[in-house]
Amino acid sequence: MKGIIQIIDAAARARIPALWASSGLAVLSAAPPTGVEGYESHVKPFFVSYCIKCHGPEKSKGKITLHTLDGDLAAGAGGEMERWEKILEVIDLEEMPPEDERQPTAAERAAVKAWIDQGMRDHVAKAAGVKSAPLARRLTNFEYQNTMRDLLGIDLELIKDLPQDPEKPYHFNNTAEFMLLGPEKLERYLKTARRALASTIVDPAKPEVHRQSWTFEPKGPAFAAMQPDELGVYTESKGMVVNSWPETGEYRIRVKAGAILPPGYQEAPLRIVMGSSLRSDAGTGDYTAVGTVHLKNNVENLQEFEFRGRIENHPIQVGQVNQKGQQPSTRLIYPQNLFDNGQLNDNHANHFDVAWQLSVPRVVVRSVEFESPVFDVWPPEHHTRILPESPLRSAAPDEYVRGVLKAFITRAYRRPASADELERFFKIYQMLAPEFATLEETMRETLSLVLVSPQFLYHTVAADGLTTPSYELASRLSYFLWGSLPDNELLALAAENKLDDPAVIEAQARRMLADERAQDFVRNFTTQWLGIKKSKAVNINRKLFPRFLFTVPNGERTGQEVLFRPTIRDYMIDETVGFIGELIRRNASVLYIVDSDFAWLNEPLAAHYGIDGVQGLEFRAVPVAHGAPLGGLPTQGSVLVGNGTGSAPHPIYRAVWLREAILGDEVAPPPAEVPALSDTAGEGLENATTIKDLLRIHRTVESCNDCHVRLDPWGIPFEEYNAIGQYQPRIPKSGATVRGFQPQTDVTLEGYRKYLNTVNTELADSVARVPNGPEVSGMRELKDYLLNDREEDVAENVIRRLLTYGIGRALTYHDRYAVEELLKQSGKSDHRFQDMILTVCRSEIFRTPITPPQP
Amino acid sequence: MTLKSHHMNRRDFLRGGGIALALPFLNSMSRATGLAGKMQQPKRMLVTYIAYGVYDPNTGDGSSHEWSWYPRHDSGPLTLNKASAPFEDVKDSLTYLRGLDHPGGYGLGGHSSGDVFGTGADMSGREKTNNISIDQLAAKLNGHHTRYPSLVLGSEGGTGSYGMSKTLSHYGPGQPIPALEKPQEIFNRLFRPYANQSVNDVRARLKREASVLDLMMENYQTLHGKLGAEDRQKMEEYLDSVRAIEQRVERTSQWTHEELPIIDTKGLNLEASYHQPGEYLRCMYDLIYLAFQTDSTRFITFVTESEHSTGNLVGNFANKLFGYTGNTHDIAHKRPEEASGQWEKWRAEQHAYFLKRLKDTPDGDGNMLDTTVVLWGSAHPHASHSTKDYPIQIAGGNKLGFKHGKLHNFEGARKKPLSNLFVSMLNAVDAPVEKFADSTGELTEILA
Repeated sequence: MKGIIQIIDAAARARIPALWASSGLAVLSAAPPTGVEGYESHVKPFFVSYCIKCHGPEKSKGKITLHTLDGDLAAGAGGEMERWEKILEVIDLEEMPPEDERQPTAAERAAVKAWIDQGMRDHVAKAAGVKSAPLARRLTNFEYQNTMRDLLGIDLELIKDLPQDPEKPYHFNNTAEFMLLGPEKLERYLKTARRALASTIVDPAKPEVHRQSWTFEPKGPAFAAMQPDELGVYTESKGMVVNSWPETGEYRIRVKAGAILPPGYQEAPLRIVMGSSLRSDAGTGDYTAVGTVHLKNNVENLQEFEFRGRIENHPIQVGQVNQKGQQPSTRLIYPQNLFDNGQLNDNHANHFDVAWQLSVPRVVVRSVEFESPVFDVWPPEHHTRILPESPLRSAAPDEYVRGVLKAFITRAYRRPASADELERFFKIYQMLAPEFATLEETMRETLSLVLVSPQFLYHTVAADGLTTPSYELASRLSYFLWGSLPDNELLALAAENKLDDPAVIEAQARRMLADERAQDFVRNFTTQWLGIKKSKAVNINRKLFPRFLFTVPNGERTGQEVLFRPTIRDYMIDETVGFIGELIRRNASVLYIVDSDFAWLNEPLAAHYGIDGVQGLEFRAVPVAHGAPLGGLPTQGSVLVGNGTGSAPHPIYRAVWLREAILGDEVAPPPAEVPALSDTAGEGLENATTIKDLLRIHRTVESCNDCHVRLDPWGIPFEEYNAIGQYQPRIPKSGATVRGFQPQTDVTLEGYRKYLNTVNTELADSVARVPNGPEVSGMRELKDYLLNDREEDVAENVIRRLLTYGIGRALTYHDRYAVEELLKQSGKSDHRFQDMILTVCRSEIFRTPITPPQP
Repeated sequence: MTLKSHHMNRRDFLRGGGIALALPFLNSMSRATGLAGKMQQPKRMLVTYIAYGVYDPNTGDGSSHEWSWYPRHDSGPLTLNKASAPFEDVKDSLTYLRGLDHPGGYGLGGHSSGDVFGTGADMSGREKTNNISIDQLAAKLNGHHTRYPSLVLGSEGGTGSYGMSKTLSHYGPGQPIPALEKPQEIFNRLFRPYANQSVNDVRARLKREASVLDLMMENYQTLHGKLGAEDRQKMEEYLDSVRAIEQRVERTSQWTHEELPIIDTKGLNLEASYHQPGEYLRCMYDLIYLAFQTDSTRFITFVTESEHSTGNLVGNFANKLFGYTGNTHDIAHKRPEEASGQWEKWRAEQHAYFLKRLKDTPDGDGNMLDTTVVLWGSAHPHASHSTKDYPIQIAGGNKLGFKHGKLHNFEGARKKPLSNLFVSMLNAVDAPVEKFADSTGELTEILA
């Protein structure tokens, strides 16, 4: 069938940094004449000899046809530049013609490449400076949340009720294409703004303070050998009921706590959460974390810990109607023992082994105090920031209001408010004033409207008479590295027009990366780039992997994951995010994403991966030896679980991940006619046919082979890693029938290992020949190949990701030569991660982004 | 509908654009006074989604399995099987369609084609952010007769995200509409919209909002004039959104002159939750029925279960109902005969209950089912990862031009886009279109 195969090997984006890198310089002299002449003499004959058979009027494999292209490249060739770029790449990487077809000589290849490259350069140069795509795009929900936090000075959870942003795996959604606005969104922005300002601007009268406290005495009757003030890891703690609280405000929770630490343990993690009634039996309840503390003090030495937060951020338990009528609503505070050594599931067959939890850290909570609102001064700082104390307020009210508006709008718009803009909001204020009783109320409503203005909701774009390019740049920097609005220092530089100096930008970017807010950037950038969120949605086969998820042993929710605590899969995402953060912090080479001499682990993850000596929930760098099964991104759980079926590894998903996320290719989705391999492979150990065999059968069909021959090999070396992200070089014998997991006999870690050894008897077949490359055996050799032969591709991929995210638009062939230049610079410092980010920030393309025509 | 609206001022748009505002007022006046003569007969539409495809095993001999979601295998008159038995009472108003789908969703992964079920957007091609859904187009063209242009429901609430949609409705590209999930909240929104405010207070508030929106529009203009052409074009979406809100405000305000319908809440369990799947779905269907019956809206979508319910309690329905060990999602992959049969029958019972209720309610010289077209289906066939050949049941609308009683098979050479059915549905509810998404015409096979 024609046109089914859509795998595009080297997609619309360039990968070749130095054009001549892989083919040698000797052929430069063969450069053909440019334009139509060269096309007729060199290119067309090449196409006719080597390409048209499959990509012409007869067949159009990969939906690519060449016979309709014409020879006038520099003129723009009627929107066909993307196609030319693709051709350039496949010829350069020698991906085409396929290996089993007649091959052109090196000189022929070089001539065609030179002709396309020159034509493209001419075209790009000619088109430079033409802006024809929008830079205006609304803030993503992520940016909105951060912006509101930094603008208002209080951290309210605001995006829960907003329609979610579109997402696409391996794409960033901060582009004009993705960030659209509709009435539903705008309406909810308004609602959200009102809600936020109701908390930010307070009423003048000092509010009533709500207090409650609880004490737990360490005196019997002990349950399961634990006193009432002790929390074991299996303890279902009861919530403390908070009966009253202010509608808005900060709260303080003080907890007097200590730990019971058996020999060999240094700490016990205590987390406090607050929300509705948590019913793990029924699976209902909603909460927000208050905070976590790692207790190192023992019971004889109880200490007080203080947590603060916003009361608005925590769910309410709505009061029910019973015989006595409507009951009041409540909030519940729960202390939790989050201890996790990766073995919580090992020791129970039909119920939690309560005796076992005495051998691991316990938490003791002696008392809890709740108080809200708390404030160091009244009115609080977030209020006076907007409505400062001033004699003007009564002496010259209009002037006061104008001052308030000017300050707020300038902050919200990330640049000075124009006189016109200011007057408009003054008018709005005047119109609203008679409707409200106080200045506070009127101001809440007026400022809510500032927060639904396009100047606030959309990224700052230079506009004549309103916004200078410097302010645009200040915003671009801050939304890149913080996902939030520029701070005073950046705005001051913008005001003085000092920002457009690469040295100043570099200093600012360094400062910003060192700031805590850069963690938001790392998380958002990493999760979108690597598409790791899907690891949480994969349905894990609990019969095959009984120890992976911490599950409920009995009752209505038997076999389902224990609720209301971070799970192993949350830690896996933290691992990947933290790993990238650490690479940036250390300024390590971006090639560490392929392999690294450390892993980023906490105790449950280390236990899962089989690494000893890591204690506690906090993440840290753990050295790994070269050749060890860990290191780099490809062997991290978030990647392996997300790109598995929950039962078996999935070489296709993993191959696609490797090519998209690491090599920067764009792999088109499979055509719908193809049966899903995941449905036929590995639903149980009983059907242990290897996926490699299935793929072999799949490839005997020519139309399937066309794309899989260039895809499968990338995924086969991953076969050494199972569906839950562990190194597992041995698998069940093909076609064998094995006995299933028996909780009664296999429940301990030891029993489980024994069981696995009886089942997994064959070495997994992880040998594959990389397309246009050598044969690699397993992940180790695949990583070596990537590091030795594809390091430029990997580095270019990362720089393109950073640039795309930073400027908020997709790169096109217009950016090809700019990227080439950046890569050269970055190579001078071994593509170190932080340096690479700085290179991007300093670049021409980042400072004055021209948006080329969209394809 | 791209309006070159920046050439008109706001009032021109509101009045001249006409469709959205002038009519409801007239309509409500006519009801109050009876002056405008015969009221327009409401024509309604419901689009309902069920997740993970349906049970339809290959029996090997071309026959249909007794527990198959489809009553029969190939084209022909309907005789109900075990799974479709609950539809006995409404059999004369039923059509099953096999082989229709949205090619725009082919490229979406395993469980993601539900994203385009209501839109037919070309997600593997040019439309990366989805597009307007059938109900929203109907609401845009013909949603002005009722207090609410449309109602968007879903058991899991919200919008979901890319490839994991929890709503069927989209206002336009990149503009998913969050689904409502809580019965009490839906009830209040429909029938107690003013909460505790007096009508006068509500009117005053709406009047203020309208003036503020005017000023917001002026504020926007100051920016608009200073942007480059591309950015200006991009910002049209902002302008359109403000206008849409203005229309809503104006509409709400006009409807304050209408009495709110009086609802008998007896038998309506607004506290129903996921813990009682049957109670919950019945309550949602009851609310849909009440919304139609009171003519509060005419266009509704409802996701009974999304393709990504494994992460929440809705995914445990099969477990709750008949003790299936595992997520409902597993049934779709393993297709065990007994559980699949029970699951299909249960889903059919819920939907049939609703259809029957419409049928039992007189409307004009017929019943409500005759004047309501109801789509029920999934974006996957038996093989839950396939994105082709959606199982589709179309019910009702006997008086809106639909002809029932058969299964039509469009597989293979007879292939047609599902959008053709959408065109016919839209035309049936007086939202005339010639084309929807990738349609190539109407689905004449089911038209009288």
